[in-house]
Amino acid sequence: MQNPPGNSDRHEEELRTFFELSLDMFAIADFAGYFKRINPAWEATLGFSTEELSAVPYVEFVHPDDREKTVKEAAGLQVGRDTIAFENRYRCKDGKYRWLLWRARADFDSELIYAIARDITERKDFEKMLRNTTAELARSNDELSQFAYIASHDLQEPLRMVASFLQLIEKRYDGVLDAEGRNFIHFAVDGAKRMQTLIQDLLALSRVQTRAKPSDLTDCAAVFRDVMNDLQFAIAEVGATVTCDTLPTVMADSVQIAQILQNLLGNALKFRGTVPVRIHVSAIRKANEWEFSVTDNGIGIDPQFFERIFGIFQRLHSRTELPGTGIGLAVCKKIVERHAGRIWVESKPGNGSKFFFTIPDKKRLPDG
Amino acid sequence: MIMTPNRLVEILLVDDNIGDVVLTKEALKGADFTNRVSIARDGFEALDCLRKTGKFANAPTPDLILLDINMPRKNGCEVLEEIRRDERLKLIPVVILTSSEAEDDIRRAYELGANCYVTKPADLDEMVKIVQAIDFFWTTVAKLPRSR
Repeated sequence: MQNPPGNSDRHEEELRTFFELSLDMFAIADFAGYFKRINPAWEATLGFSTEELSAVPYVEFVHPDDREKTVKEAAGLQVGRDTIAFENRYRCKDGKYRWLLWRARADFDSELIYAIARDITERKDFEKMLRNTTAELARSNDELSQFAYIASHDLQEPLRMVASFLQLIEKRYDGVLDAEGRNFIHFAVDGAKRMQTLIQDLLALSRVQTRAKPSDLTDCAAVFRDVMNDLQFAIAEVGATVTCDTLPTVMADSVQIAQILQNLLGNALKFRGTVPVRIHVSAIRKANEWEFSVTDNGIGIDPQFFERIFGIFQRLHSRTELPGTGIGLAVCKKIVERHAGRIWVESKPGNGSKFFFTIPDKKRLPDG
Repeated sequence: MIMTPNRLVEILLVDDNIGDVVLTKEALKGADFTNRVSIARDGFEALDCLRKTGKFANAPTPDLILLDINMPRKNGCEVLEEIRRDERLKLIPVVILTSSEAEDDIRRAYELGANCYVTKPADLDEMVKIVQAIDFFWTTVAKLPRSR
């Protein structure tokens, strides 16, 4: 049954309206390679008028480097292979090129190609930017591991020479040196050794990235037990009481979680007050993450330093008061951030500190 | 019980850093027993010395090799690889004595058949202790095949 003539006209009118309105480019081309009919989106995108675009074979507008594949794709269409996701560049009136994504099918009765093109220039530019950024990142990562090697070897050697030979002088010329001379040597040796510790600490910080392992199911209770085992002598030495709540299993790099706990517990032992040391580790479930905390009854921290303590080589005490380079919390911060979590502290001077860090939920990685 | 080797112990020290050579020799001087230290300044010299070629024609076959890794021309890992491939040299204990703490170096050294990997300490007394411990262990404690 045929539609009444009025209905057909209406139908035609609707299609024409869509044809005029479309943001994508519609085209009907003949097998000889000319546009026969195109919608206004072409002019809006390329800047050429419909007449200009129809006057010469369309391949003339294609970027010289894309012409060969365009001709091949058109040939494919003419033997019945539909175009699904073909990409090429078209020249604009201002001489620039825009990337088009094509979908097309041939009609053999009329020997015409029906094609739709979409301007994907922005996406292409974005992809290119992403590729460049990725390459840049890979390069800087390479440089970082290069640096790590240099730090672990080349920088250590001269320092070792300085320290060792000063000590040799001290030993060999003991009778010649007076107390002041020996003191000078002591300062120089101490400086060289401190420098070496700083280098090793910087290296530890860079290893958070270079030695990182992919996240896996990590039983934090087991990690805690291991850390306690490692710290048993330090804990016994200060007579500390360390307790913990039930700790969860999270998706994380277990070695790095151990490192966080070790550093935080180590700090709690180190920055102790005059009362018997009590440290408590706990974890509570939040919306999309686990919030861990390590609470101590130590000397506490002035709130004005809450940010600073997480910086590299930031210390609040002189080396004669308490040893250390100030790398521990910076390492913790880097690890937590690598896991897309946060780390912060709540404390009052003289009233102990409570360090928090979060590990977000992550779906378990598929096996294999 | 004090154990002492009943003969002169030959040690080949391979290190490009003259400072380290002096320190290591200093440490070995303090050892309780007699040893003789030959020096090779890079990988090529080390292999010449071991194969008694060139100016090392009269070099003694060492009982122990102390080998640095980072050296010009031919590094310690390459030397170690050649030693372990050489029928006449492969049984000589090789101790890597280096400044490198790089995990890759440690792994590679053991993969290539190093007997032991030691990082040189910054402290002189530590260095002396460690070098003497290596010397004592490999020349006195450890039993090694007689004919090599």
